[in-house]
Amino acid sequence: MLTRPNPSVIVFFLILLACLVALPFVAGTYPVKLMTRIIILATFVLSLDLLIGITGLVSFGHGAFFGCGAYAVYFVSPESEAANVFVALGAGLVLGGAAAFLVGAFATLTRGFYFIMVTLAAGQMMFSLFHDTDIAKGSDGAFVNVKPELAFHGTSLIDFSDWHQFYYVCLLVLVAAYFLLFGLVHSPFGRVLQGIRANEVRMSALGYDTYRYKLAVFTMAGMLAGLAGALFASIDGFVTPELFNWHQSGLAIMMVVLGGAGTLYGPIIGAFAYAMLEEVLKSASIVGPLIADHWRLGTGVTLVLAVLLSPDGLAGFLSWKPSRVIRAPSGGPQRGNVSTRPVRVAKALLTKGLSKNFEGLRAISDISTFFEANKVHAIIGPNGAGKTTFINLLSGTVKATAGRVLIDNRDVTGWPAHRIARAGLGRSFQLTNIFPRFSVRENCALAAQVHKVSLCRLRDRPYQELEARAIDRALGVAGLAERGDAVAGNMSNGEQRQLEIALLVASGADLLVLDEPLAGMGPEETQRVVKLLRDLVRDHTIILIEHDMDAVFAVADTLTVLVQGKLLAQGRPDEIRADQSVIEAYLGHQAKVGAVA
Amino acid sequence: MSLIFIQLLNGLQSGLLIFLAASGLTLVFGILGVINLSHGSFYMLGAYLALTLTNLFGDIFLALAVGVPLAFLCGFLIEYLFIRHLYNRDHLQQVLLTFALILVFNEFQQVVWGSYPHAIPAPSYLADSVRLTSGLSYPVYRVALMAICLALALAMVLVIQKTRVGRLIRAAESNREMVEALGFDSRVIFRLVFAAGTALAAAAGMLAAPIESAYPGVGDRVLIVSFVIVVIGGIGSIRGAFIGSLLIGMADAFGKVFMPQFSSFMIYALMAIVLVMRPAGLFGRA
Repeated sequence: MLTRPNPSVIVFFLILLACLVALPFVAGTYPVKLMTRIIILATFVLSLDLLIGITGLVSFGHGAFFGCGAYAVYFVSPESEAANVFVALGAGLVLGGAAAFLVGAFATLTRGFYFIMVTLAAGQMMFSLFHDTDIAKGSDGAFVNVKPELAFHGTSLIDFSDWHQFYYVCLLVLVAAYFLLFGLVHSPFGRVLQGIRANEVRMSALGYDTYRYKLAVFTMAGMLAGLAGALFASIDGFVTPELFNWHQSGLAIMMVVLGGAGTLYGPIIGAFAYAMLEEVLKSASIVGPLIADHWRLGTGVTLVLAVLLSPDGLAGFLSWKPSRVIRAPSGGPQRGNVSTRPVRVAKALLTKGLSKNFEGLRAISDISTFFEANKVHAIIGPNGAGKTTFINLLSGTVKATAGRVLIDNRDVTGWPAHRIARAGLGRSFQLTNIFPRFSVRENCALAAQVHKVSLCRLRDRPYQELEARAIDRALGVAGLAERGDAVAGNMSNGEQRQLEIALLVASGADLLVLDEPLAGMGPEETQRVVKLLRDLVRDHTIILIEHDMDAVFAVADTLTVLVQGKLLAQGRPDEIRADQSVIEAYLGHQAKVGAVA
Repeated sequence: MSLIFIQLLNGLQSGLLIFLAASGLTLVFGILGVINLSHGSFYMLGAYLALTLTNLFGDIFLALAVGVPLAFLCGFLIEYLFIRHLYNRDHLQQVLLTFALILVFNEFQQVVWGSYPHAIPAPSYLADSVRLTSGLSYPVYRVALMAICLALALAMVLVIQKTRVGRLIRAAESNREMVEALGFDSRVIFRLVFAAGTALAAAAGMLAAPIESAYPGVGDRVLIVSFVIVVIGGIGSIRGAFIGSLLIGMADAFGKVFMPQFSSFMIYALMAIVLVMRPAGLFGRA
């Protein structure tokens, strides 16, 4: 999870800030101009870290929103007068945000490599829009004749053509942006973003509409980039399509990673370090004319080495010790005295004629069945019988070709996974699917967060107690009450499976769909989980797939047998054990093997 | 009408040319799993190799015979020095390192060849034009170029489908661990694939040099268009890259005629449409 900057980082930045504030008093115009440029760059790069480092979206078109912000200043500036400062910066913010919203609406549908390519292509489209057409004078670029100004009754309050005033405005924007993003990242909203970076599928299965979150954060990053672009246009009063060039976006990614992605302060260091490096390499008096002529070679080589040698970025060099940030709300010790939990009626699930075709192959055909509330239902069948496909249909991971799914009479057919999750169905996956680098409590905190629909939930306090109770209860039920501070990825396989169940309980789901919850477990662990499941049915309905037949007969109230995508039989364990067709199709095979052995 | 015919030929020609670059990219991404942003630099390397070697030998085809093996070696070396460190890293690191390589290559080009554009002569025996109809002719060099591209594409398909090495490459694509477990050194396979991808991009750059000359940043457009093609065709699919290249070539050629201001838009719009209809590309595996 995100680390809070430790004292040495804070001291470093306080000194840096003091130097920056003092700079105009001791230095001439050139250093101030240079530093203005770097500060604006740092603001831009900071906005990119929100995407790359925090949410895990590698955007290769972020320069486009910076460019939009710059062009916005040109659009709102009258021919021979100064534009109002707030209008100019506001226009940058709005245009950058609007462009990001449009691009993001499409781009955030994709992932990984495709996301990189779509954002790259979007950036190039905007480049060609400003380069090939006559908007704002095409490829030559355009001038903002008079820089923005804020006047009140004829007296100028802020004038961007004054280098010192402009410098302080930019510095203020950077500092404000940092604290704003810092607050955002540590809010429940930011916690969800980090959850998406760590494990998007799991977030979606917990009931978060990850698309909306990604689009929201993409737009926010675009707004901040637009603001930085608006400031940039005010440096020289000149805008050019080159601002959109994909090289700009590439360099920005460089600076984020060079500084240390996901720390927010790292990218600021990255921007400063890169700009300084460039400045030093360009100065013939320091490095000699040969290198100064080919300074790009120097930066390129430095960056190659940086990537190969230090994957964590410069922030890794500032000695900080990782400290937990997202403190999952901690409530009173309410040890799970398991068996005293009150019995509660959970939800039932009904399917009607559920079918799924994969390009002509009938994976599931016409399954109508009913899973009664507060029972353990096991789905069994030979490999390839369509068991996992079947529960993927229930949880909305896969869309049905025909048929309906009802949770307590509520038709959820065709709903996306996150909505079905919010309707009370929590699922686990065949391979354990948790947030490995988060602590156990943090995992559950993501699951327990209330108001998953609302993007605007920025404060923890009103819900702290409620969520803490849900977390404690879930950990108690799952038998992990003592393990709250352990890092999930370091626990044993069995404990991780227990944590996954705890996640589902914490999320408030009362219909649990588990895909092989006992896979890879030793006999002792199996026994523990069987006991846990039997206990859970007091207030949950459980549907599970399992291959371990001894465990299945020990835990299940009903068995559902699938063979070749069809429902073969359903009933109590003793009925199924006696069913001739099941013995032939499935159990008999195992029985024969047992007999031979 | 004649304009449409000419643009059809132009689209075919630029599509075939870009296919060489895009197929290299899709192989490298599909098999090595590395996003190689420096692929465009190899195209640029090809263009400048064409310049130097044509000056040396006096003929673009002789230059090709020397330059392509040279580019192959170059790719071999770059894989050894840089790319092999990226196999187990995430996309972000791959993007970064290969982007940094672009900066290095661009500056290297500035140091060696300078910043002026250079024209490269087409061979004198191919300087004529073929008369297609009265009043309509097409340069012979471009026809030869199409033939060479087709021959290379065919050779590539034959190598991948019919030879032992090709079978290994296909196996490594679908299951690298298993290929290693069977006793093959996947590092060698990867290095060969990367070198081949480099050579293909360089070949495209060399062939194109007499048409579009050599200038700084000549590979940038090729890189981005190649990525668009990989997305359209589906990652790792040669057939997809072929269809995608032709589509892009046509979209570009006709876009330039009918809506010149928005011609660069066309290819991205095409990509957007394909992604919406088939998220894994035309021939990609979902």
